Amino acid sequence: MSKFTSELVDDLAAKLLIGLSPEENQMVLDEFAIIDENLSKVDSFQNIKTIEPMTHCLDDFTFTLREDEAEPSIPIEDALRNCDKTEGREVEVPKVVGGEN
Amino acid sequence: MDKTIEELHNLLKSGEVTSRELIEESLKKSHEIQEKYNAFVTILDDAKETNVTDHFLSGIPFGIKDNYSTKDILSTGSSNTLKDYVPFFTATAVQKLLDVGAVPVNKTVLDEFGMGGTGTTGHTGIVKNPWDTTRMTAGSSAGSACAVASGVYPYALGSDTGDSIRKPAAYCGIVGYKPTYGMISRYGLFAFASSLDHCGVLTRSVADAAIVTDTTKGIDEHDMTSWDSSDIHLYDSLNGDVKDKKLCYIKELCDIEVYENPTEELKKHLENFMNSLEVCKSLGMNVEEVSVDKQLLDALPSVYVAISCAEATSNMSNLTGIIFGPRGEGKNVTEMMMDHRTKGFSPLIKRRFIIGSYILQKENQERYFKNAQRVRRMLVDTWKNLFKSYDAVILPVGSGPAKHLDESKDILTKDTAALEEHLQVGNFGGFPSITIPNGFINDLPVALNITGNCYDDENVLNIAYAIESKMNYKNQIAKEVHHEQI
Amino acid sequence: MSKYKALIGLEMHCEVSKTKSKVFSSAENSYKETPNANIQPLDMGFPGTLPVLNKEAVKLSLMASIILHCRQPEYMYFERKNYYYPDMPKNYQITQNPPEDCVGMEGYVDIEREDGSIFRVGIDNIHLEEDAASLDHFYSTSNIDYNRAGVPLLELVTYPDMHSAKDAVSFLEHMRQVYQYADISDADTKKGQIRCDVNISIMEDSLDETDPENWGVKVEIKNVNSFGGVRDAINYEIERQTKLKETGEYDEMEQQTRRWDEESGTTIYMRSKVDAIDYKYFVDPNLPKFKIDSAWVEEIRNSIPPLAHERKQKYINEYGLTNYDASVIVKEKAQAEYFEECLKLGIDAKTASNWLTTQILGEINREEINLKDFYLTPALLKQIIDEINKGTISSKQAKEIFYKSIEEKKEPKTYISSDMAQISDKRELESIINKVLEENQSQVAEYKNGKDNLFDYFVGQVMKNTRGKANPVITKEILKEKLDK
Repeated sequence: MSKFTSELVDDLAAKLLIGLSPEENQMVLDEFAIIDENLSKVDSFQNIKTIEPMTHCLDDFTFTLREDEAEPSIPIEDALRNCDKTEGREVEVPKVVGGEN
Repeated sequence: MDKTIEELHNLLKSGEVTSRELIEESLKKSHEIQEKYNAFVTILDDAKETNVTDHFLSGIPFGIKDNYSTKDILSTGSSNTLKDYVPFFTATAVQKLLDVGAVPVNKTVLDEFGMGGTGTTGHTGIVKNPWDTTRMTAGSSAGSACAVASGVYPYALGSDTGDSIRKPAAYCGIVGYKPTYGMISRYGLFAFASSLDHCGVLTRSVADAAIVTDTTKGIDEHDMTSWDSSDIHLYDSLNGDVKDKKLCYIKELCDIEVYENPTEELKKHLENFMNSLEVCKSLGMNVEEVSVDKQLLDALPSVYVAISCAEATSNMSNLTGIIFGPRGEGKNVTEMMMDHRTKGFSPLIKRRFIIGSYILQKENQERYFKNAQRVRRMLVDTWKNLFKSYDAVILPVGSGPAKHLDESKDILTKDTAALEEHLQVGNFGGFPSITIPNGFINDLPVALNITGNCYDDENVLNIAYAIESKMNYKNQIAKEVHHEQI
Repeated sequence: MSKYKALIGLEMHCEVSKTKSKVFSSAENSYKETPNANIQPLDMGFPGTLPVLNKEAVKLSLMASIILHCRQPEYMYFERKNYYYPDMPKNYQITQNPPEDCVGMEGYVDIEREDGSIFRVGIDNIHLEEDAASLDHFYSTSNIDYNRAGVPLLELVTYPDMHSAKDAVSFLEHMRQVYQYADISDADTKKGQIRCDVNISIMEDSLDETDPENWGVKVEIKNVNSFGGVRDAINYEIERQTKLKETGEYDEMEQQTRRWDEESGTTIYMRSKVDAIDYKYFVDPNLPKFKIDSAWVEEIRNSIPPLAHERKQKYINEYGLTNYDASVIVKEKAQAEYFEECLKLGIDAKTASNWLTTQILGEINREEINLKDFYLTPALLKQIIDEINKGTISSKQAKEIFYKSIEEKKEPKTYISSDMAQISDKRELESIINKVLEENQSQVAEYKNGKDNLFDYFVGQVMKNTRGKANPVITKEILKEKLDK
């Protein structure tokens, strides 16, 4: 496990596309120390590993999947009305180079 | 506007007052309250009256927390990242109210995207407590709580991820109710932590909470976690008959002996709570003390932070200023998104994203995220076990009345942490949970909470309704008290 | 490559094009030229939107899972793959995260090579996810079109069971047929519906490949978008890695991700495994775990349409086609459907096969059109074939009518006039033949003296006299009778 250090905080922030001041960086470390302490106690709970992690709020209700019916597209004016930079019917950004994935 | 929904409805029906008059009064009050407590992001001065029908809510004004998407109305989530965002679709819960002729008059301030419990982190500034302006309203439904308590209207929509409806309701002396998870569709509610997010309502009476929820609930094709509640009739099932109902309270939270150096406030709060239990008994209910593993309770606040931060960091990764929100500056897309997010989010949120992101790292998931999810299940199972023997769990809300605005919020370390945060179990398990006022400490309101098993909302509300009827805090309006700091 | 053996695994992404709507939103799932014309709020990640799972997408993905002999999960659920990229408006992709439960786990597929030999490819998993938006690049800007965002996508991951570019392409061809025949997808590479990542390593040929200890260093090649590209990338990479082996550098090579550059025909280094992105997967709380009912799985299993290899066997065994013709026909589903439609209309199997595999495929390949858009439907083709059978037209005329009909887009029968009709009347032909023989007496004499090859000359003369309308069979009969007596 990588230690939760100031450098790691900056690295995580960069990956989340967030800039942090040195003070904010320190505050993250302080806050996390408490959580770390509390959650490290959890590791020693009896049988903790045998418990299925709870990923959803309710898992006991029945539901149906969506029937495959298509709806008309939303109007382009709606789709783009909050966008600060558009070109024709599209969202425009500075040229994206390189690839992800 | 200081009346209940039923009363207002009767006045409208009899013609003693018109929808127009109610709206005007509500708008006037909105501006006053805004001046004093800063409760709103937007006041809808052009709100139009609607026809009064047989529906309780027709023609009556209400408020909407600003993390609900409202078509053609600014919806900011109290964040600079969405400070100019005007949606083109309306949240299901809001739409259901519009459909019956309810009239929105303002959008209320919250802690940015609901991530916070103080009412101090919204992008438009701090929301003040209408009982004492030096104190916080708590949050995140801060503006909604403040406005309902101030008599701007009888109800406002809120959302609740940890205790975001129930805590501010308590600190403002009103009723806060979040129904079972999925009873009200989350479509159009800006996501904070999807597995914990609930829609709900803040009112001044249990009956009003029932009326509003009867309208907002229902299965929604846009939310797969919503379910059909058409056989649940909350308002109709309020009869106040709670004889032989069984309640329990948790020793590890309520017994003053478990606290090392209890404050006077805490003593009074727990004493007041014990008095409320006597009220319950006088109604014919059985009230018993139960014990819950202290270790579990102590882990609760960190489990909440872990799960909510992890989900939030992913949920809010759509906020980049590319498609909506102010476009950031930069030479390339990454720089633009970074500029938008760095400027747009408050420090608190940024810190939480980073913690969430760390917790989700592959190598850390087991130790933090999955363990937190495991403890979540243990807590939920513990409560579900209680519900096998009891109709509901009754507990005090917080460790006393509203905190001062300048008070340290570092509650994770205090021995009252579990007492402050236990309402989060209601979010862990999706349990129906309602907070009602149960008295005053130093002239400031305090509250108790009733939480029941999933889908048992009728029972939970009816218990709260019965207790409310035996106390004198129904439909109370905040009176500013000038209070010395303790 | 004699000293070394390549181990090739594929990740094949195929858009599920046969649903009406997208996988998590109700926007239409169809290709549109107009940008942002197939969108719902979720597809652009607007605040407050939630995914709602499409039943048909689940059904079709389970069908793929069944066909690939995979194990189906008890519950269907999804995870979020978190990373920032402008083609993904939510900045996370809803997907599945094997080895956690996904649509299909641990299956296999048997592939027939052109020479008839069969090899088996193990399937690690197949999972359902959403596609990303597409970016249109300009000089200094990129435009984002969200039409594709949220289109259901099946990602299939094989074990490294293939050893040559040829086998890898055979696998892809086979899977493309599966998707088409099962009505899961058009699997149209031209529309970018299929995209591949290739992973490849080489090892000493003498070592045991079933022991992963002996495997080489895995190189992943991203975003190869055509089968030809897969072939070329594999061949390039085998050569590159072989060279590294020979210079002793192979074992120092780090596990890495490379990119196929079509223009230069080379693979280009992207990142090493140590820089692998941590996608911070976690279960999406908005999509409840959906119980996969075993009765539903059975229902899906029973509804799988006959696949290519089943049809091929039938064509050979029941209709007497050659292995080659049957293979050609089943290569595309549209062709098999055309063929079967012909049969339904009563056209003889061999005749239909001949027309389809020669004239028709020749024509659509030349014109680069889709068989579905081909003017001459089986019913129209039948008009031509009927006339041949009646003896009204010659096969040469039939071909002329075929081309005229598709060129002018008019029914073949418009070209079949009484004027065109063959002369099949024996008496009429006899008098023409008598005339021809009379006019060519010296040739007749030569023929009778043993110059057999003059026979065709007489046929030609008869045709010339009738402007090609003489029924050749009858003509030959009469000629033979007269000359050989």
